[in-house]
Amino acid sequence: MRWRGRWPGVLHFSRGGLACRLVAAGVVVVMGGGGTVSVWAAEAPVDFNREVRPILSDRCFACHGTDAAKRKGDLRLDDRAAALGVLLPGKTGHSEVVARIFSDDVDDVMPPPESNLSLSADEKEVLRRWIAEGAEYQGHWAFQPVVAPVVPEASGLPGAPRNEIDVLVAERLQKEALSLQPMAAPARLLRRLSFDLTGLPPGLAELDAFGEAMTASAADPAAVVAATVDRLLASPHFGERMASDWLDVARFADTFGYQSDATMQVWPWRDWVIRSFNENLPFDQFITWQLAGDLLPGATRDQQLATAFNRLHRQTNEGGSVNEEFRVQYVEDRVETYGMAFLGLTVGCAKCHDHKYDPMTQRDYYSLFSYFQNVDESGLYSHFTDATPTPALSLGTVEQERERALAAARVVRAEAELALQRPLRRGVFAEREQVGLAAAGDGAWPDEIGRFALDEIKDGRVLNAVNEAEPGQVFDEVAVVPGRHGQALQFSGENNISLSLGGKWTRDDAFSVSLWINPPAVMERAVVFHRSKAWTDAASNGYELLIEDGRLSAALIHFWPGNALRVVTRDRLAVNEWTHVAWSYDGSSRAAGLRLFVNGVEAAVEVVRDALTKDINRGGEDRLTFGQRFRDRGFKGGAIDDVRLFGRALSRLEAAALSGVGSLTPGGAGPGPLVSQDDEFEYFLLAVDRPYRDALAGLRDLRRARSATGDGLPEIMTMRELPSPKPAFVLARGAYDAPTDPVSARTPEFLPPLTGAAPANRLGLARWTVARENPLTARVLVNRLWQSFFGVGLVRTPEDFGVQGALPSHPELLDFLAARFMDSGWDLKALVRLMVTSRTYLQDSTVGGDVRSKDPDNHLLSRGPSFRLSAEQIRDQALRAAGRLDPAVGGPSVDPDQANRRSLYTFWKRTMPDVRMDLFDMAKREVCSARRPLTQTPLQALTLLNEPTFVSWARLVAEQAEAAHADDGEAIITIFRTLTSHRPTDRQLQILRELLVEQAAGSSLEPAAARRHGLQAVAQAAMNFDESVMKR
Amino acid sequence: MTPMTHPFISPVDPVRHASQLTRRHFFSRSSLTLGGAALAHLLGRDTAVAQDGPALGGLGQPHFAPKATRAIYLFMSGGPSQLDLFDYKPRLNADHGRDLPDSVRQGQRLTGMSANQATLPLAGSAFKFARHGAAGHWISELLPHTAGVADELCFIKSLHTEAINHDPAITFFMTGAQIAGRPSLGSWLSYGLGSENENLPAFCVLTTKGKGGQPLYARLWGSGFLPAAHSGVKFLPQADAVPFLKNPEGVTAVGRRRLLDRLAELHHDEYERTLDPVVNDRIAQYEMAFRMQTSVPEATDFSGEPESILEMYGPDVRQPGSFAANCLQARRLIERGVRFVQLFHQDWDHHGGLPGAIRGECQQTDQPCAALIKDLRLRGLLDETLVLWGGEFGRTAYSQGKLTAGDYGRDHHPRCFTAWAAGGGIKPGVSHGETDDFSYNISRDPVHVHDWHATVLHLLGIDHERLTFKYQGRRFRLTDVHGTVVAPVVA
Repeated sequence: MRWRGRWPGVLHFSRGGLACRLVAAGVVVVMGGGGTVSVWAAEAPVDFNREVRPILSDRCFACHGTDAAKRKGDLRLDDRAAALGVLLPGKTGHSEVVARIFSDDVDDVMPPPESNLSLSADEKEVLRRWIAEGAEYQGHWAFQPVVAPVVPEASGLPGAPRNEIDVLVAERLQKEALSLQPMAAPARLLRRLSFDLTGLPPGLAELDAFGEAMTASAADPAAVVAATVDRLLASPHFGERMASDWLDVARFADTFGYQSDATMQVWPWRDWVIRSFNENLPFDQFITWQLAGDLLPGATRDQQLATAFNRLHRQTNEGGSVNEEFRVQYVEDRVETYGMAFLGLTVGCAKCHDHKYDPMTQRDYYSLFSYFQNVDESGLYSHFTDATPTPALSLGTVEQERERALAAARVVRAEAELALQRPLRRGVFAEREQVGLAAAGDGAWPDEIGRFALDEIKDGRVLNAVNEAEPGQVFDEVAVVPGRHGQALQFSGENNISLSLGGKWTRDDAFSVSLWINPPAVMERAVVFHRSKAWTDAASNGYELLIEDGRLSAALIHFWPGNALRVVTRDRLAVNEWTHVAWSYDGSSRAAGLRLFVNGVEAAVEVVRDALTKDINRGGEDRLTFGQRFRDRGFKGGAIDDVRLFGRALSRLEAAALSGVGSLTPGGAGPGPLVSQDDEFEYFLLAVDRPYRDALAGLRDLRRARSATGDGLPEIMTMRELPSPKPAFVLARGAYDAPTDPVSARTPEFLPPLTGAAPANRLGLARWTVARENPLTARVLVNRLWQSFFGVGLVRTPEDFGVQGALPSHPELLDFLAARFMDSGWDLKALVRLMVTSRTYLQDSTVGGDVRSKDPDNHLLSRGPSFRLSAEQIRDQALRAAGRLDPAVGGPSVDPDQANRRSLYTFWKRTMPDVRMDLFDMAKREVCSARRPLTQTPLQALTLLNEPTFVSWARLVAEQAEAAHADDGEAIITIFRTLTSHRPTDRQLQILRELLVEQAAGSSLEPAAARRHGLQAVAQAAMNFDESVMKR
Repeated sequence: MTPMTHPFISPVDPVRHASQLTRRHFFSRSSLTLGGAALAHLLGRDTAVAQDGPALGGLGQPHFAPKATRAIYLFMSGGPSQLDLFDYKPRLNADHGRDLPDSVRQGQRLTGMSANQATLPLAGSAFKFARHGAAGHWISELLPHTAGVADELCFIKSLHTEAINHDPAITFFMTGAQIAGRPSLGSWLSYGLGSENENLPAFCVLTTKGKGGQPLYARLWGSGFLPAAHSGVKFLPQADAVPFLKNPEGVTAVGRRRLLDRLAELHHDEYERTLDPVVNDRIAQYEMAFRMQTSVPEATDFSGEPESILEMYGPDVRQPGSFAANCLQARRLIERGVRFVQLFHQDWDHHGGLPGAIRGECQQTDQPCAALIKDLRLRGLLDETLVLWGGEFGRTAYSQGKLTAGDYGRDHHPRCFTAWAAGGGIKPGVSHGETDDFSYNISRDPVHVHDWHATVLHLLGIDHERLTFKYQGRRFRLTDVHGTVVAPVVA
């Protein structure tokens, strides 16, 4: 415990060899040990929340708290009923707790020495007194309802309070014999307001105008301040300033993180954030859209876009990663970001076990987890393609999206027309002369483009009977074994044959593959054929026929699983026996258009996915390969015979014929019992009837046109709820592969439930988050906003409102602001206005030593805020001072070395962030962060002194002043004001004049150049001067 | 803690002498003294939020007498093959080409790169092994120089980790956790033990230039939730070794000193007007920056190194940014009082073509590693400097991809691998832990990453259970809630 100031009446006595200090009645103590400053009079009863809980929580709860699994001696001290055995209210002499904490015996004393924890004499005394006074517990303050305090009249309080903030602050100051400071000088005020509301320094003209207005209305400066605040709130830079803080919370970055750290296109979400702040979207909606915009009825594009918030976590594409392991990590990140951003809780502590300090159970954690996992996503983003991880939202311009919609409508119309044509073609079919479908013969079938008997391998190739110029390539010694007809090829799992034919089929092309396969066993997973770069780490982009759990699984994939179609046969394949398989796809991008025939009969399939909306041709490797795939399990021990490729969908009749069940030749074996008139008609349409085939070609062209308008459009990762939730479980020790008890989506049990019906999905969670009864959200938000303007929150641990977090320095003020915020309809600009027009905010920050010693860290708000500018603000100020700032709002992120854009828009690479920003404590943006440390390091000094862009900006500042002012003094004043917003004092001016003179003299340049050199030094000094990096 | 002076630091600085008058001038006018207190602020002060209670700050002093005061970590990124360097397994040569027995694999997970492989053929090392030194350490022919200092080394053959992919595995070794956001080992040391010098950062990072392989990133030497001042400072292989060290073009040393003197005058005046202690920190900040402008170039200038020393490190030492140059740089930083030097050498990720590729990495690293040990020994620094060598995991006994005559690849293997340590507090000549005949499972004395960290901290005088930092309501440790000091390797 730290003791500050002079304490008359402090009583010293000894007990057990330890010096204890008790405070005589009526004396006020400022205490720093428990994490906050608390003030109380000693004769008042011990306050559980302020005094006792911090001690119990920090020293006892780890073993005697909420986590049942780690509880020692079956004793819990966080629950009064359970603790009554060891603490007897009013009877300290009989309370085991008292005996143990005051014990000198190393075997008895609590906390035990091996815990590396101990209690100070004062802390022991607090516990003793608390028990003596009845050992009453209170609920943790942050979990109690927000109740707006009755704010007394301002009259009688010193320092001319202006609004409720001032009254609550001044009341408290009065107890310390302190009062609000006078308003800061106009230049200081405008600098403070400009940085806080726009992130930019005021211009010289703005400083002049504000100064004059303040002088002119000295009687009522409040009106001038109010007008200025309104002007700044209306600036488009207001949204940028607010967004800076929100991007830290949302862990926004331009790359995926992890090892290859590829570019992640999420800047449109950032622009939506800026827009929302500028338009003052009510904050409850700002939250709701981000958590669950996709679930709002008739969700607009912005509402869906907002949900990208949940997808900004890091993602990996490292080859060989276990998909599920990383998917679970992503969901955890969403949960932990949600917890810190809105509830101010360290929910991550409950991932592996019940929270040790807060009443959050592991079950609560995985119940939250359940909300955030119901999207069709992969644990890996695509290593080999630039496909956007699913779910994704198309972000074409209005024009592009309209074009795509029109093109899609044309496809729908053509499909309808084709359906109408079919009955009309019946007539032609009926009138045709010959039943035998004469077009088919023993040679190439209609539209057959490849036929590989696979009877031998010659020079590393296999022959193509219908096109000699397109043989297949054999990779790595494939075995030739007896086949279904003649010989066949048997694969090792590592070797393959591959064809350039089929390598460029698109989702708009109809195409078919016929082959015989002979699997050696019920295969868990085996690649029969595919066109793709690699396994799921390529998002599986392409098409593929696999065996999964003994069944055929056929898919066309843009990004697995969210943008793909897949069908899986209901029956398992026969083992160690030849089976004929025909894959027939009609170019429709629909699961219904992908048919599998097994031994000539259309197989019953389960549709696993039916949501293919983009191309399947990324990643290179434009070949159709049989038997093996990079990093996947090949067709080990399996054999393939008689591969045939067709440039259209196959009819049932053909599939049967290919399998040997029927024949297409007149006078041949004849159609078997499976073949009906309908089958013949289908064959007629697909293979013979020219008008119908022309119509199919027309439809294909329209589909290609549709794809051409849509496939290249940018997308962004968003949330899109699955029709039914994924099963969720408590994961033992947080391990992805150790599911235990099933859980379902629900809010933490220790917090009030949502009243009224709410869906058990993210929308329900969002409604609960912004409900008036939620004790945390509004408190957490107003606290972070307060921190943004005052440097330190009313709760100094904005990331932790739990039991281990700091207590609020001004609890009533926090609740007043939270209640006001909610009751105003979550009007953020109104809340900002309330804060920055308060006398508390407008106070001067320079005070005498007595105020400083009474309130060294300004926790009592005895003066105005004073802290270092953020990394972005330091760069933006220099850029603006140099006259080079491009004030455009929004757009793609830009190279920080090339750009004159605001720092908000500079590209943030997670694994190698811009060193200049990093050195100035920019948030890393790897995980959610609710506050940045503000450090001072030598490397920062070197950056401002020597980094080439900062140096060039300083020189530009000097050159502008040089050109504008022949007088050295005027030039120095302009430079100084541009960088610090202040007119230099006489002393400062004198020092800078001396600097100018000695630098010019030392330069051995001719006079004009020497003056420039000197002014450049002045600008460098000003840029490195404390007032230039501070907001005071 | 009190900064220690070091015999190797030369405080003489001509520029400072030239401006001594001015400096004396302003110091004399100030009632302030700039010393330990300001420096302490500078090295860790978060101006917005003061530290929590007294028990939670830096250690002030080590928990017990340290065996080593400084450390150099030669991190071999990518996962070097223990099977081809130190963990001699003749059984693999005998069974070359046979499938890894299921009884050995025991269903353990493989990476997605070889999990789908049709067979898992065992691959015997292509390299000859021999015993070296009085201790008889098995070392392969790839490392003749390392073999020459075998008696200084202590091997741990039973390291194991939980991660199977690079990013989480490297992050685990560097920060004690697989997920991002925790402070790195060097940051913990800087935080716990403070700096031994006023002119250089406590924690420096050197990466071999021009290497491919697994990327490295600032997180690996970041301070996590510790104050940013404890982050590692990356030294670049160029004149401007620390970012923005060099004065801008057209600014002379004297001109800069004068500018800083005037800036200091402005700051003293500002302090008198505001009484804000932050301003004092700023004065110290600029003074240390200025000192670094001379101390860093001095520390990175090899021109005074005798030819015999350069030769010892090998010809690469003349290439700035080579592993050899970085080893020599590490010695120079250590002797100037830098607490912790972290080297990274990439490209050990030999999934295919291992015999050829590993030879190249060994050629680049073997001689410098041995030279570093000898050089430290020569200067009497080895006894107080802990030197560590190792990667983030080992490699599989079976070949990834096709096994052919003379060629094979090896996939990631977290279940056992080898690291070595030498110097301060290490028992030389010891080989700790054993693996089975396939170097697939540990058969004796497993050493987890947390144990490795606990031991490193122990040697530096820190009880790993007591070096904590309270963040988000919890006391965090480098070793989480695990870790046991590996006593048999401690001298």
